[in-house]
Order: sequence, then C-alpha cells, then structure tokens
Amino acid sequence: MRNNLIRHIAVALDCSPHSLASLNAAAELARRMHADLTGIFVEDLNLLRMAALPCSHEIRIYTDEPEKIDLLQLERSLKRQAREAESALQHIAKEFMVEHSFRVCRGMVPAEVILAAHEADLLVLGRSGRSPSCRKGLGSTAKKALAEGKRPLLLMRTGFAAKEWPVLVLYDGSTGSQQALSTALSLAEPGTLHVLILGETPEEAMLMEQELSATITRPETVIEYHRLPLHDGKTLARYIRMADSGLLVLSDRMRLPIETVHTLINEIDYPVLLV
Amino acid sequence: MALPAKLTPEKLYRACDPQEFSFRTTAELDGHVNATGQKRAIDAITFSMGIRHDGFNLFALGPNGTGKQSAIMHFLDGIAPNAPIPSDWCYVNNFEKPRNPKALKLPAGKGTTLSRDMQHLVEALFTVIPAAFSSEEYQVQEKDIREKFQEQQGEAIGELEKNAAENNIALIRTPAGFAFAPIRNNEVLKPEEFMQLKQEERDAIDVEITRLKTAMQSILAQIPKWQRETQEKLKELNRNIASFAVKPLVAELRNSYEPLPEVIAYLDTLENDVIENFDKFLEKEPDQRELFPGMAPDRFLQGGSSFNRYRVNVIVDNSRSEGAPVVYEDKPACYNLVGDIEHISQMGTLVTDFTLIKQGALHRANGGYLLIDARRLLMEPLAYEALKKALRTRHIRIESLAQLYSLVSTVSLEPEPIPLDVKVILLGERSLYYLLTLYDPDFTELFKVAADFEDELPVNSDGKLFYANIISSIAKKDTLLHFDKGAVARVVEHGSRLAEDSTKLTAHLQSICDLVHEAEFYAASAKKESVEAGDVQHAIDARTLRASRIREKIREATLKNQILIDTVSEKTGQINALSIYSPGGQSFGHPGKITAKVGLGKGEVIDIEREVEMGGPIHSKGVMILSGFLGARFGIDQPLSLTASLVFEQSYSGVEGDSASSAELYALLSAISGAPIRQWFAVTGSVNQNGEVQAIGGVNEKIEGFFDLCQARGLTGKEGVLIPVSNVENLMLRSDVVEAARNNLFSVFPVSHVDEGIEILTGIPAGEPDTNGNYPPDTINGMAVARLREMAEKIRQFNNSSSDNEE
Repeated sequence: MRNNLIRHIAVALDCSPHSLASLNAAAELARRMHADLTGIFVEDLNLLRMAALPCSHEIRIYTDEPEKIDLLQLERSLKRQAREAESALQHIAKEFMVEHSFRVCRGMVPAEVILAAHEADLLVLGRSGRSPSCRKGLGSTAKKALAEGKRPLLLMRTGFAAKEWPVLVLYDGSTGSQQALSTALSLAEPGTLHVLILGETPEEAMLMEQELSATITRPETVIEYHRLPLHDGKTLARYIRMADSGLLVLSDRMRLPIETVHTLINEIDYPVLLV
Repeated sequence: MALPAKLTPEKLYRACDPQEFSFRTTAELDGHVNATGQKRAIDAITFSMGIRHDGFNLFALGPNGTGKQSAIMHFLDGIAPNAPIPSDWCYVNNFEKPRNPKALKLPAGKGTTLSRDMQHLVEALFTVIPAAFSSEEYQVQEKDIREKFQEQQGEAIGELEKNAAENNIALIRTPAGFAFAPIRNNEVLKPEEFMQLKQEERDAIDVEITRLKTAMQSILAQIPKWQRETQEKLKELNRNIASFAVKPLVAELRNSYEPLPEVIAYLDTLENDVIENFDKFLEKEPDQRELFPGMAPDRFLQGGSSFNRYRVNVIVDNSRSEGAPVVYEDKPACYNLVGDIEHISQMGTLVTDFTLIKQGALHRANGGYLLIDARRLLMEPLAYEALKKALRTRHIRIESLAQLYSLVSTVSLEPEPIPLDVKVILLGERSLYYLLTLYDPDFTELFKVAADFEDELPVNSDGKLFYANIISSIAKKDTLLHFDKGAVARVVEHGSRLAEDSTKLTAHLQSICDLVHEAEFYAASAKKESVEAGDVQHAIDARTLRASRIREKIREATLKNQILIDTVSEKTGQINALSIYSPGGQSFGHPGKITAKVGLGKGEVIDIEREVEMGGPIHSKGVMILSGFLGARFGIDQPLSLTASLVFEQSYSGVEGDSASSAELYALLSAISGAPIRQWFAVTGSVNQNGEVQAIGGVNEKIEGFFDLCQARGLTGKEGVLIPVSNVENLMLRSDVVEAARNNLFSVFPVSHVDEGIEILTGIPAGEPDTNGNYPPDTINGMAVARLREMAEKIRQFNNSSSDNEE
C-alpha cells in the first residue's frame, strides 16, 4: 500500500461501536495519505422486508411483550441512523481535516457496501456490525468483502486507536508478504514494527531476517523481528494473541493457504489490514 | 481653742532624695520588673494558676494601666515553660458523616507530620492507583469479565439464531431490539412471497417464530441480571486491585502511628474510602479555575477539590511550642475565641468543608493560659456566653454564629467538640468585676479567684527602686535615653502626686510610662546623654500647659472680674470655696464664690443649687448636714427662726460633691453672726453634723488653683487656704507653691473642726459654751445666738400682732 495508490477510502457506517472505530481509523489513514473519505450507510433491505411481513414483531430488552413493527417508524429510525452516521463522519473529517462525502443506499448490506466501495482504493469495515449475537468473529459484510477479494481491506474493531497502534506484519518471503511489509513500514513510521517471519525451517527464517535487516533502513522505526515455523492458522492465532501487538498486516497471497489466512482473520480479535 | 499652725514647706511636698539611689543612671539597672506592692494579687494568681479544679479561673481587677497584664505575663513566664507541651489537634474528614468532621488528638508536633504524610499519601496514590489499573494483569482480568458477559449473551443468542436458521428463520437486529423473519437464500421473504406460501406453511412459520420470540424473551430477561453480575465482578476486581495498591501505603502510615488508636481508626476509614473512590485517582482533574474563573484559589491546586477529603486540617500545632501556651486574645470576638467555620463562594453558592474550620484562641491556649480583656469580651456579641459555655462544658464546640441565628442558609458543619483544659484570666476594672458578680450567677462559678491589684504602692526603697527599674526597662525596650538619679527621683515624686498621697506611689504604670517617653523626648531634643530632673519637670509642665486652655480662660475671666472672686476684702456671708474641674484627663482647681443670706423663717436652709436641680445628691446631703449642725448648736433652747439660702455664685453647670460643705457652713455662720470673712482665704473640706472637717479629694489641684489666682493678682503674704487636717498626707504641691509658703507669701492651714476654721477666717473665736450653755457674746457663736434670739423675738412679735389684727 504505497501512498500514491490510496486516494479514496470508503468506510462502512452503521453506528455500531466497530463502525465508529473504523471511521476513526479511516480518517487517520486519510489524513496520512491525503486521501478523501466516503462514508457508506446501507438501509438494510432485510429489515424493511421483515417489517412488511404480517408475522414480524420486535422483541425489546426492556419491554415485556413483543410489538408489531411499524414500517414507517422503521423508515424513520433508519433515516435517523443515517443522519447520525453522517454527523459522526462530518465531525471526524473536520477533526482530521480530510475531504469527505456520504452516501446512503438501500439493499442487502454486504452487497451494497462492496458495490458502493467499488471505486475506493481502501475499504474500511468493522469486524462485525449490528449483529444480534455480538459475535467475536467476522460479520456478514466483512466475510463477504474477504471472500470477494476486495483489497486492500481494513477490518477494525473497538479498543484500538489508529493513531498510536503498534503494527505486526506477517512475512514469509512471498510477494504478498513483501507488499504487506511495505505497507506495515509506512504505517509504523514513526513507531515500532514487529515482523513475524514465517519460515519452513528455522534456518530459512533466520536467513529471511538477515536479508530484511540488511535491506530495511528506517531510522524512525524500531523494527523487532520474531520467527515462527510456518504452521497452521490456529498456532499463528495463539501467537498473535500472545504478542498482543495491535494492527495485523498480512496478505492472502502468502505461502500460507488462503483458507488459513481467512480462518486466522476470523479467529483473532484484532484489527486486520489485508493487502 | 488653740488654732492650728500653718503647714511648714516640708509638709506641703515630700521630696525624694536622689542620693537614696545607688546607681548613677538607670542604664546600670537590669530593668527586671517584679510585682512590687502587689502581694495580695500575686498570691491570688499563684493560687489560681496552681489549682487545677474547674472554675478556678482568674479575674484580675484594677484600673487600666496598673500593670495587671505585665504582672500576670511575668508570672506565667516563670511557670509556663516548665509545664508539659499540650497535644496537637487536627480536624479530618468524617467519611461516614461528612457534616461532623472528626477531631484527632496527637502528640505535640505530630499534627503537621500527619498532614504532610497524608499529602504524600495522596501524591503516591496518584501514581500507584493508575499504575495498578493500567497493568496488564488488570486489563486482562477486566477484558475477561467483559468478554465473558459478551460471550454469555452471544452464546445464548447465537444458539437461538442457529436454531432459527435451521428452520429458515433469521434473527435480525432492529434499531431498538430483535425480530425474527422467514428467509430464503439468506434474504428475508418479500411480503408477496410470504403470502404465496400455503396457509399451513405460513402457520408453521408463525408457530416457529412465536416459539423463537418466547425463547428470545427469556434470553433478554436474563441480560440485566448478567449485566448486574458483570458489574459486580468488575467492582470486585476494581476493589481488589485498588486495595492491593492502597494497602501497603496505608500500612506504612499505620506503623508510624501505631500508638495512636484514633489515627489508626481514621486510617482504616480512609483506606476504605480511597478503595471505594479509586476512580478519582485515575483521571487528572480539570483545573476548576479555568472552568470557573470566579472560584477561590488554592483549594484546587494540589489534587483538586475531591482530595480535600483526605487532607488534615491542623487546628493546633505545638511543634514549636516550649511548655504551656500563653495566649493574649486582643479581639475576643466569638469567632476568635471558639473558632469559626468559614465558607467560600463557588458559583454564587457558599460551601464549606472541614478544611475551612478555623481555630480560636481557646484552641491555641488549650493546655495553657488565655488572657482576655474583660471589657472587650463583654462588648463582643455572644463572646462572653460562648466562653462560659466552653468553660462550663469543658469542650470547644465550634458553632457558626450566622448559622445559629439563621443569618445565612447554606451547608454547614458540626465539628466534633475538642476537650478543653485552660486557665482563663480576665483583666478588667473593678466595676466590671462587681457588676458581673452581682448580675451573672455563672461568673462566680467560673471565675472563683479575684486578683485585686493595688492602685498605689508605698513610698519606700522598694517602691522607688521599682520605679527606677520600670524606667530602665522602658528605656531598654524602646531604646530611649536612660534617666539619671535626679530624673528618677522626680518621676517618683510625680508618682506620689498622681497617687494624691505623699506616702504612696501610683500603680498606674501607663502614666509613668508616658511621662518617661515625654521626658526622654525633651532630653533627646536637647541632645543630652541622659534624662535629667529638668526634663521630667519640663514634660510635666508641658503636659499641664497642653491641657490648660480652659483653666486659663477661667482665670482670665476671673482677673477681668467677669467671674467675681474677691481675694482682698472681708465680707459677711461670703466665702471662697475651692472646687475642681476635670475636663478630659486633666484636673485643675479654681475658687468659686459661695454666699449665704438669712432672713426670718422656720429654720430652713435653702440650697439654691438643689432648688434649680443643679446640685447633685451628695452636695444636697452636705447642705442638709448643715441644718443638722445649726439645729444642734443653736436650736436647743429656742427655735431657729430663720431662713438661710446658699448659692454657688456664677455657677452655670451642675455642682456635685460635699467638699464645699465646710465653706458653706462658714458662710452661714458669718451671715448669721454678722462677722465678715477674710476673702484672702479659700476653703475646702466636708463637714459632719458635729462640725468636724473631713477629707476631700483633689486637694493639691484646689490649693494650686487658688494660689495661681492670688499669684496673678500679687501675693501679699495674707493669702492662704484651709484644708482638712486629714488631707495633709495628700499634699504634693507644685514647687512654686512650696516656695511661696517658704517665703511666707502663702499659707496652708490644716483644720479639724469648723470652730478652728471660723476663727482663722474671721479673726473672732468661735466661742465655747459656759456651764449654762451660753456662749460669750464676743464670739461667733455668741453673736449668732444673739442674732437668732433677736430674730425669734421679731417673729414672736409679728405673730402676736397678726393675732391681734385677726381678733
């Protein structure tokens, strides 16, 4: 991810905590890369359809009896959410001094987000949206973006601030991992970059580390190298959790199988930048 | 009867011989002033200070300026440093009842230490607590608890979601809750698609959704409980972490204050409070002054307002004390005695807390001695009552007067009362003591000892040396020129003059102090090395001169005969009486003319001053005594067939006192007998019904007043005054009067009975009755009897002729 490639950043907004974290991260990146920011709010067609069904009832936490969903009221609620999302975007854009636009569309949320972000150079999403079960894994939109190969893709979650995040990059010598390393270096400057080198053998990993040490000269970035045998995603996920180093930068064009990469992204509860 | 001889110059003035002093100047003296001549008072002070029972407080009574305070301070300087140093007292927050701040008693010097320790503790907590809560351990545990809740919720809903999905039903998050809807290919059925389903299918979906809704409601009903449990767990975790961070710091303090159970108990409650309010230490408090520019400074500096609750307000700090405290409260207002609870204005509201409790004099003097001027105490509203209450209850209870009288309505405090152990010494005039004794039953209970200070000291070597030491101490304290022995002797003589007694010295040391300063001013102006007798005399003369305007005006009017005072001829029924004027602080004497006239009547003596209500009761009493004397002497054998009137001529203001009663009697005797009185004499002295002449006050000023007039007109050698013999000891006349007496130009006659006086004044003997009670005809009494008989006869004849005419 070189700066000259990122001119438009799209961020999906649904007023969930993850989407607000996405907005912050997107604005920070837009500021750094002098890119503009587009907020996307999708009026969920499933919701609207459901409201039109005779059997639809809303169950609320603090209300005894389920209530029939009123379509007009639902429309109003969606519009209010859209206004809130736009207001949040305006506020953040003003704070980070970035150009911004806001788009509201209606449809199936994952598809509409992917479609709306078609022209963007980077799509920023919450790991999960307003999902009913508050799940830890990826939400439907994130899953779809991942599956449809929208790159680069930043999946954010709450509790991480893009401003001061430490960065961990996975490197295995592949082209994809080299691109990930290049992006990670630009994000970690100034700061600390952890490079997790995945080698078939310890010797190979050592060799890669030596090569990188020799080639990378960033005076304002502290680079720490770690080595791990190239194993399955679960071991890697455990290691990443232990390292607890914030943003994970990786590519799905690495020597690791793409399924392993996706499983890893699904399992770890950290922000991920997939290049 | 033998007439009294005029007094010799030595009797008119008792000089102090400078040679009695062994020093050359007062610089040679140590200036050590003891309570000479005040044995009675010192014994009372010793007793009061020694006895430790309740109510044995002291009232030192005597005129102002007699050195009561100095004597007491001198006494206390001897005992207070050897007494134990009292405890420190602090007010700290009562965490359970903030309206009732707790009082902590600590050994001397420990109060400030505790205050400093608490300040350090708060500073340390600002480091330790944030460190504990930002530790990985805490973050992980907190995350675990929160995630557990999320998982608990997520699992339950996820299970239901999965269950629904098996039946092609989706759980959808709505803006305000959840809903279930039938789906096909992950999309909710359109209404028309739904309606195209068979009735059985729609019913099955309805049933399924109803079931799912019920299940969802059960899950949602659990969520508040899970939230509560999560909050409890978080709270417990916070408490554990805060406790772990705080306990070692407090334990360290606890070790330092182990022998003090009250402090330990306070530290325990403080520890709990810090643990409960750990979050206040996590964020840096915004500077309230920036938010609200009108706020009071200082209260928000270190740690901010929230941390006032952990401060220690050291009310009494004895860290630098040596022995028991001796406190003189110059302004004994209620709030200065028992302390006060101050308020500060915040956003237009008055607020307070225990750090705004202000100490009073009773706090400072607790365990020692408190001196208060009684007059000032009584003039301060409610101060006397507050002092009595504190002494009676033996506790200092701080009450805001404004609160007490509902003058302000705002949050206030009721601090825990502090036990009181103090000796209170009131300093005041005698009249105050007697009034309090008479009208305040509490007073005698609380002030059981009276130290009655003498107004005068005996003129002996101790008294004179005391004066010399007073002068020496003043000169040393105020860096003045020292006095030579002659100057000291002159001050001693003036002390006798102020005491109006040649055998006494005044104990009014303030007057002596003033004279010392004034005399030194003249000596220093003349660039002398020490103050001499002439400088003291200069100061006395200057002071007299400064106050002489009225006296000069009266004398001037007299010399111009606008005030008629005859000092040359002899007049019947007229006499010069000596009176005294006291405008401001200075007194001076001047003669006044008394005339007496007689006519036929029923034995009445009419006091014209009383008739016009210009005479005071004592003066009126004196005139009535004259009626008694005349009746006893001349009205035994015949009725007093006269009416006599007496008047102070040219008196335009009131007359009080009986010192002119002898003069009035002489004027009456002259008027009745027809014997003229020599006007070159003036008279003073009161008289009783037996004709005995009694002592009066201000004898020196009275004599000098007449002398000044005569001298202004030119002394011929005849002029003189008659004074009561009992006033001879009071004579300390001016040197020019004494000099005139020495040169036989002026005489002072001591008189003990009116019969002596009338003979001096008229040159005719008073006369003594023979065995039949008849007076010789050529005596005053004989002439008076003859005149009265003649008047009685005239009345009888008049009465007879009146009866005849009526018949």
